[in-house]
Amino acid sequence: MENSIVKSKRTKEVDINKPKLTAKEFKRQWILVAISAVYVIYGIIFYYLPLAGWIIAFQNFVFAKGIGGSKWVGIDKFKFLFSDKTFLMVIRNTFVMGVLNLFFSTVVAIAFAILLNEVKNKYFKKSIQTISYMPHFLSWIIVVAIVHDALTSTGIINDILMRLGIFKQPYAFLGDPKLFWGIVTLSHLWKETGWNAIIYLAAITSIDPCLYESASIDGAGRFQKMRYVTLPGLRPTIMILLLMNMGNVLNAGFELQYLLGNGLVQNVSRTIDIYILDWALDARNMDYSLGTAAGIFKTVVSMTFIVVSNYIAKKKGDERLF
Amino acid sequence: MKTKKIVSLILASMLAVSSFAACSTKPTDTQSSGGGEPAQTGDGKQIVDFTMFAAMAGKEKNEGNDIMELIAEKTGVRVKETWLTGQDAGEAIGSIIASGKLPDLIDGGDGSVTLYQNGLLVAWDDYLEKYPNLKEMYTDEEWDKFRMDDGHIYWANVFGNSYDHNTATGHNGEAFWIQVRVLEWANYPKIQTLDEYFKLLEDYAAANPELPDGTPVIPYTCLCEDWKYYCLENAPMFLDGYPNDGCVIVNIDNGMDNPKVVDYNTTDTAKMYFKKLNEEYAKGAIDPDFATQTYDEYIAKLSTGRVLGLCDQYWDFAYNIMGPFASPLEATDGTTFRLDEIGCDYVPLGLTAKAGMSQQWHSYDDELNQSSGCAVTTSCSDPDLAFAFLSALLDQDIHDLRFWGIEGVDYLVDDQGLYYRTEEMRENWKSDSYKAKHSCEYSYCPQWMGMSKDGINRMQPSEQPSEFYEGLSEPLKKCFSAYGAQTYSEFLGSEIVVNAPWYPLWSWSNNISSDTPGGIAWKRMGECKHLWLPTVVMSSDFESDWAAYQAAYAECDPQAFLDEAQQAVDERLATAKSYGWTAPV
Repeated sequence: MENSIVKSKRTKEVDINKPKLTAKEFKRQWILVAISAVYVIYGIIFYYLPLAGWIIAFQNFVFAKGIGGSKWVGIDKFKFLFSDKTFLMVIRNTFVMGVLNLFFSTVVAIAFAILLNEVKNKYFKKSIQTISYMPHFLSWIIVVAIVHDALTSTGIINDILMRLGIFKQPYAFLGDPKLFWGIVTLSHLWKETGWNAIIYLAAITSIDPCLYESASIDGAGRFQKMRYVTLPGLRPTIMILLLMNMGNVLNAGFELQYLLGNGLVQNVSRTIDIYILDWALDARNMDYSLGTAAGIFKTVVSMTFIVVSNYIAKKKGDERLF
Repeated sequence: MKTKKIVSLILASMLAVSSFAACSTKPTDTQSSGGGEPAQTGDGKQIVDFTMFAAMAGKEKNEGNDIMELIAEKTGVRVKETWLTGQDAGEAIGSIIASGKLPDLIDGGDGSVTLYQNGLLVAWDDYLEKYPNLKEMYTDEEWDKFRMDDGHIYWANVFGNSYDHNTATGHNGEAFWIQVRVLEWANYPKIQTLDEYFKLLEDYAAANPELPDGTPVIPYTCLCEDWKYYCLENAPMFLDGYPNDGCVIVNIDNGMDNPKVVDYNTTDTAKMYFKKLNEEYAKGAIDPDFATQTYDEYIAKLSTGRVLGLCDQYWDFAYNIMGPFASPLEATDGTTFRLDEIGCDYVPLGLTAKAGMSQQWHSYDDELNQSSGCAVTTSCSDPDLAFAFLSALLDQDIHDLRFWGIEGVDYLVDDQGLYYRTEEMRENWKSDSYKAKHSCEYSYCPQWMGMSKDGINRMQPSEQPSEFYEGLSEPLKKCFSAYGAQTYSEFLGSEIVVNAPWYPLWSWSNNISSDTPGGIAWKRMGECKHLWLPTVVMSSDFESDWAAYQAAYAECDPQAFLDEAQQAVDERLATAKSYGWTAPV
């Protein structure tokens, strides 16, 4: 019974949203077509045409000779990549930092949004929200300077720990490879939690108040309402954002790791982007081909992530991208 | 539906805010490229604005800088210099090449060869014949060393090149530096080894834990950032008594005719040195942030006067701390003091592995570094004018303007024609803000050291004996006289040797590309040492970490690099012989 209603609703939706493409229909909607065409053309020029440059991954590209004059080397560059221990290491670093970041930023932002939503005093709530998303507008270079300052031997963290008597000597946080991923994740949380929470707060406001009322009538307390009303209500938003961010896992960052890294933590700090910068754009190497090959690898993996997780979401009957 | 609306509203506002943020940076951009109002030279020609990038940290000059305008009037060219910020030289040059936006003049540092390989530089050859000022900078043999594989010259290194003869008073190279107040406190002892050096630093720090303004002292720090980790890395080479070949030791026990390349990373001295640092780190005598500090943090730290000792090359730190050392500070008791007046200035110590060894921290001859230098790019609208300008910068009157300043304002001339400065003028030239608005050295363009063409003065005030001595702070003067030295180089007391034909070998290793096995080994060795050297210093179990380091180092295949270094030495020796060089007896 319930199933059939859902089904009929869906087919109806499809009918409304997808009118047949006829000349008449086209004429009726030409303004909309024109507006969207701008974006399609923009996308083609700035996202698809540059992909032609991928062919230099199969060359020994020299800037002065151009694509026409450079030597073709087949998949040599990819062979070099996967035989290079450093590359395998930067894949691991990028992946781990990306996953840590995705997981914690999602969980913490949702928790923050739900808690903030429970605050009854409007002014207090608004000011907390504003303060929390302010760091989003700082550039990474400023954030790194703050983090760096805070973590040096005379920084606030060491100062507090020593005053509390937990440490006798200042600890070199930035030089400890075990702490680096944690520092990166925390810096991301500090900078982005407030901002990420905005979208969840918006989603919460759109949950039907009747649900809360009926939950109250059924005797649900505050936490039960969060657990059984708010969270399920957020589920579609969470799924869509997770799916979109899956493609960003390998964009685990560049500025933060680049600026915060140093010799001691290089084995855990370098990401694929830093590797590319090092090989492709550093004048001492200038191997654009190798950099492009690494970039292709990254794109392919990111695409795979999105498609696979979309497929899983589809199987589970959740919201999905396509 | 409502969700969508709200979401789109949020997205729209995000977009608006971010575009505001983007807009707000624009006005400054256009300002900096504006270049000032069109001005004219003395004979009515329009002044041309050039841009110059030097792949080195530096200080920008204010717009309308006094001497820059004077030089512009004389030469018809005004150059806006920009410097390295945040990136390292290789990355900066790499992005300049990729963007295709080249300045008119460039010093590409480590990226110079890449600029040449991409055909972005203008050859000097024809212009050298046209402008004798430029040609005069080097002998034919020296110019030949600048020739690239296509037989042309694309840049000229501008540093350490003496007119007539080398008159250096300073020590521009590397040393273990120590604040003069430390030596003064210990009644000017003779310090020869690492043990004596660190003991003195510790004792002083224990007796004087704070500066007058209450800042705690740091006995020793060391920079490890990027390529400047040489501060930590290459001391074993010097400690064994060898000169700064930078990448290897070149052993000449079998005569100058038979040089042999030796790796200084695996010697007993290396182990001894790092073990010493490890002990000192454990004692707390070494800055706990040494391995993670950035260059800016390092300079900021030195500028407070709290660092008693360090290992570095003079040019890398000294110019940046002169300003702060000469500014008044407030002590805890309310009085004012200056860091240079209480003896925070550094003097170089020529330490060796064992006491009594001779050492070559200081090089008395000019060092020719052909691996990088001042170049004109293919983007320059008028290369001939650019070379004319570079040539004009070497005219004695303009050279004096660059380094001495304006007569009557920045220096005076006595009746023998000798230039001198008053105390106030000297103070001015130590002040960063004064220099930004007044002085214009064009410090990465061709210049001379040594004797002025007038035969009386020196090309640069720092080498003028009277000026040099008068310019020293009182504690420095006292220190020099206590050790019976007139100059920094005498104080350091290095062995006087004639430079070997392959010296300095770092001018070869700076340009090694990662196309050869040796080049890849060099890159890997660098990465390995960046990780392991600070690790062994901070280690709680030195012996096992040292063994692990040596194992990791051996995996980088250093032999491939050493073989290529040996080849480079042999080639340079052969070239010198073809110019008639013979081994000194």
